[in-house]
Amino acid sequence: MAKPRDIPDLHADDAFAAAAAKVVAVRAQELADHSHNVLDTSDIERVHDMRVATRRLRAVLEIFAPCFPKRQHGEVLRDVKALADALGERRDPDVHIAALDTFAAAVKPSSRAGVRLLGGRFRDEQAQANADLAQALQRAEESDLQGRLRALAEGPAG
Amino acid sequence: MRARRVKGLDPAASLADNAERIVRTRLDELYSFAPKALNPKRVKALHDMRIAAKRLRYVLEITSFCFGPYASTATKRAKELQDLLGEIHDCDELLPRVRAVQRELRDGDVDGLLELGADADDLDRALGARVRHADAYGGLEVLAVWLEARRTLLFERFLDRWKTLQRQAFRERLERALDDRVVETESLPPSSDGQVQSRMTA
Repeated sequence: MAKPRDIPDLHADDAFAAAAAKVVAVRAQELADHSHNVLDTSDIERVHDMRVATRRLRAVLEIFAPCFPKRQHGEVLRDVKALADALGERRDPDVHIAALDTFAAAVKPSSRAGVRLLGGRFRDEQAQANADLAQALQRAEESDLQGRLRALAEGPAG
Repeated sequence: MRARRVKGLDPAASLADNAERIVRTRLDELYSFAPKALNPKRVKALHDMRIAAKRLRYVLEITSFCFGPYASTATKRAKELQDLLGEIHDCDELLPRVRAVQRELRDGDVDGLLELGADADDLDRALGARVRHADAYGGLEVLAVWLEARRTLLFERFLDRWKTLQRQAFRERLERALDDRVVETESLPPSSDGQVQSRMTA
């Protein structure tokens, strides 16, 4: 899992609003950097890293909520949550499939049929969740979520 | 689970002042689930405690540098707790799915046998050999047993971890770290004798 990036030039005596601008800018960039090839189900770590980046961004948006214009902040937070939910829906079957594959390899051959059958169900859910995630990513792009995050980060300190 | 509202946050006040309020609230929130979550059957309390640990971890990830050194240790402890509770949560999510698929297969097989023996006065015992998903039940039962055992083991690890945190005075030490604000040293230009000076800033 990706470690959180340090926030450059962040100080304990920064005004909360100034700190909010610095932190949200870095966490928004982390989200952008982890948003590539997440629909590739052959490498489930990509979706995991983006999900973690989304959770961290959501957390800082909640922590620093009083520093931002209410409406602008509310809309961005809602869209980040929607993206996080779509990533979570993809991540859950990813985890179960990986666990069931490992389990099936470890048990007696006679026990594998049921485990593989359940794994097949999760593969169907993964495919559906991937299609939903593709739509969520498209919505984020069309609504310029990154641009709105940048605008939010530039707002409170100035 | 909705996060508890943090009172008195002020955008114009310092990061450290605001962070202290948030961490204290998130710490209270974490401990509020402790009595219920120590019961292995309280699945929701365990789930809520995981969310509370995650919230505490994320605020500390950003602001622990404002406080005494234990705040950084507390970030790691909160993450460990969150991870362990996450593994328990995965078992709690997967086990009902296993049981549901088992039930579905069994119900389907019962219907299948009834169709085969619909015209008979009694069901032919030989039809037992034609139960379609017999192997699948067995595999799913093995998986369910393994998940129950893993969940029990992980819950014991969680209890051990929680007791260790209490023994190590996790809460008290983090609260002391919050009182122990870091004083940043800001470098100034070298003095006339060439020695580096420093100034303490609150």
